[in-house]
Amino acid sequence: MMLLSLLANPVVRPECHHPSLKPLLSTRARRNMIRCAEGISLWLAMVLMLFVHPLYAEARAMESEQPGQLYLVDRKSAWQEPALVLDSRFDVQVTGLLAQTHLTRTFRNTSDVWQEGLFVFPLPEQASVYGLTMTVGERRIVGQLQPRAQARQNYEKAKRAGQKAATVEQNRPNLFTSRIANIAPGEEVTVEVQYQQPVNYRHGEFELRLPTTLTPRYMPGAPVSTPASAWQSGWSLPTTQVADADEISPFTVLPDDVNPGSHRATIQLDIEAGLPVDEVTSPSHPLQVKLEGSRATVAPEQGKILMDRDVIVRWRPADNRAPTAALFRQQWQGEDFLMAMVMPPSTTGQVLRRELLFVIDTSGSMAGESIRQARSALLRGLDTLRPGDRFNVIQFNSQAHALYTQPVPANGHYLARARDYVQDLTADGGTEMAGALSLAMGMDGSESSGHVQQMVFMTDGAVGNESALFDQIRTGLGNRRLFTVAIGSAPNMHFLREAARWGRGQYTAVHSAAEVDKALGKLFAAMEAPVMTDVEVQWPGTVAQPVPAKPGDLFHGQPLVQVVRGSPAEGELTVSGRLPGGRSWRTSLDLASAAPGKGLDRQWARGRIDAVMDSARLAGTEPDEAAIVELSLRHGVMSPFTSFVAIEERVSRPEGESLNQEAVPTLLPAGSQPGMLRYPQTATFGPLLTALGLVGLMFSLAIVMLSRRQSL
Amino acid sequence: MSRALLLLVGCSATLLVFGLWIPFKALVAQEMLELAWAESQARQSEARPWPWADTWPVAKLDIPEQGVSMIVLEGVHGESLAFGPGRVPGSEGPGAPVVLAGHRDTHFRHLQHLEPGDAVRLQGMDRQWRRYQVTATRVVDSSRESLDTRSLARDTLVLITCYPFDSLDASGTLRYVVEAKPAYGMEQIDTVAAL
Repeated sequence: MMLLSLLANPVVRPECHHPSLKPLLSTRARRNMIRCAEGISLWLAMVLMLFVHPLYAEARAMESEQPGQLYLVDRKSAWQEPALVLDSRFDVQVTGLLAQTHLTRTFRNTSDVWQEGLFVFPLPEQASVYGLTMTVGERRIVGQLQPRAQARQNYEKAKRAGQKAATVEQNRPNLFTSRIANIAPGEEVTVEVQYQQPVNYRHGEFELRLPTTLTPRYMPGAPVSTPASAWQSGWSLPTTQVADADEISPFTVLPDDVNPGSHRATIQLDIEAGLPVDEVTSPSHPLQVKLEGSRATVAPEQGKILMDRDVIVRWRPADNRAPTAALFRQQWQGEDFLMAMVMPPSTTGQVLRRELLFVIDTSGSMAGESIRQARSALLRGLDTLRPGDRFNVIQFNSQAHALYTQPVPANGHYLARARDYVQDLTADGGTEMAGALSLAMGMDGSESSGHVQQMVFMTDGAVGNESALFDQIRTGLGNRRLFTVAIGSAPNMHFLREAARWGRGQYTAVHSAAEVDKALGKLFAAMEAPVMTDVEVQWPGTVAQPVPAKPGDLFHGQPLVQVVRGSPAEGELTVSGRLPGGRSWRTSLDLASAAPGKGLDRQWARGRIDAVMDSARLAGTEPDEAAIVELSLRHGVMSPFTSFVAIEERVSRPEGESLNQEAVPTLLPAGSQPGMLRYPQTATFGPLLTALGLVGLMFSLAIVMLSRRQSL
Repeated sequence: MSRALLLLVGCSATLLVFGLWIPFKALVAQEMLELAWAESQARQSEARPWPWADTWPVAKLDIPEQGVSMIVLEGVHGESLAFGPGRVPGSEGPGAPVVLAGHRDTHFRHLQHLEPGDAVRLQGMDRQWRRYQVTATRVVDSSRESLDTRSLARDTLVLITCYPFDSLDASGTLRYVVEAKPAYGMEQIDTVAAL
């Protein structure tokens, strides 16, 4: 209605204005004119009031919060910034093949109420968390490892009592939740998580990956809770296939949506490579490197980096010094631990005819830079096909779609059609991986006798039902091998690595468009044939439970790594296997030459926990929780069933003060698109322009009237 | 003096015209969209309202209590929202939740009067009117929360506009969300159009 009355306004205006600008002769006409102008200005003032009024009304309306509102709006009606500011610091110490990290997170409460912080964060997929320390001012509280339920109970109790408390839980092998209770207004609480991870050594290059954010995961299945509660939260709801969907789906925001300075990380790496290092590089960040023989000190060039992508650091030994074997020893609580790394010879076998199924993820999470990388990776894959090979391309989002109903020969016609198909791929919709896997695994390969069957899976792994997918891969793959290619700036490496392991293949990661060729080149070279099968490792004497218990087939450029307990550093280690063409290969290492190492016990414990989980998967039963808790507590390594909790003795929150909970969001990975889940912009500048125009007109009318009065 | 005054008047008038042009365009475009909607219903295919349009009518929304009805366009980009409420891409398809967004100062200013229990009708390309009943309204902060269509029940209708309704700030982060569920057993066929 208001708008309609305004519509009429410009029609009225010119009539009265035009005469006012012309010189008028009679006083009567002048008086009439002034009266008209006065009338109009009054009218305009009233209309303006209608516009200005909402500004007050808005401030008033906001004070009465409706239930279910998620944001905080203060009395000044300003939109409140997130209450908790986050600062992270990674201190990484690399010794040989293991990297120990002290990850320090500082939560600063910028609001004037007590806060509980909740932060879901990623860690490297093979991380073993072994420590938690909370620091409040000068006070340091060291965390304890407890069974998960007990730790949670203790934390909740301390939270209610007003004590400061912090806890870290494992949701996925590479996804953790941290809770920090009772942060006073304006206070800073620091939580330090200590973890270690193995360094990835492949093709003569060492690589370390530090994830800083996660790609929002797709949760297949129907929501299980009632829609009424759906209104309460922006997080995903538990679904029939992902029961903990609400715990692993932090809200993802753009860097502009958080406090300036929040979500920044300082990174410092101290590398003791054990052998002269030639160069240290990173595909993700420009680095500042100080090299001194076998030592390197590394930090990102720009200082604090935005936590919107994985940090990847690679170092390469000096020419011809790439190690073919390494041994580390450690004594822990009177027990001997040994870690061995053996590189198989780089031989190539005969060229086999292959049947290659390319499966590409075109779901919404791949939108942006990821789908471009995936497309060029797939085109690169099509280039490697040789006459005699067979292939097919399958894309999947909410549904899976195959280009050809069955694998076709790799000839010019079919390849040209496939290239067109790949170039037109766009990313949108859900990530129904199970459907794509069964479509690919159900492809009739009857015409492909004599072909080696392989699948190349290109995805960011942004799904919540990893476990079910591993089962599907394990049971349905048959003779095929599955190779995975991680796409994007923050892929779910846990999924990609484990999917390749269950698929008896290998994984690789593409970090940037420039890297597609290099990374894929290595993968496709490795895919030609496993370099070594039937790998046997013979330790001197009897050793209990090596991890991994049964090494899988090795591919080109990939070493065998094993950790054992109970074997002293003496005698000889023998590794044997079969090379392509049936020749057997054997090598021996003198264990006395082992170098002292650190964290081997934890690496072994983590491997044992994984082995217990694996055997449960193979048997189709629930994992042996008691055995895992025992292993975890004994070695001080966190597991799915144990959590760290740190509780301060003294009570800091006064009884009358209430406690707010805030979930700290994670940043959207660089290069990916917010997707359809963002609310659209739904206001125009119309009212603002109208108001400004009215104010201007009123102002000029007032001037006109004043000057008329003076001249009268 | 008078020249400066003239300039001020001119500028203000231009601003005013630009400001009023937006609701005017929104009003007039709907009339043209009616024609395109009738055409696309007759042909059962997308009909662009004018040759250079990058959007097309996909549905007709009717709010009987307010006595308003409007043509819904495809997409929620600025181009489509200027002429009518837009359907969020990805919410088409049988049974999928329908998500519509509109400007709070033009087409969707009526949303502020909607209350739980009110009826909303939506006509698809098949001429079938689907009746919905508003079940909830709420305000969300779009910088903190995303819209997860999968967490919505199927057959849900979601209407989104900016909030607060009378604000002059066009880039605010708050959104007003109206959720409606189908009111079964009350479907009716537009018999006039069928004749």
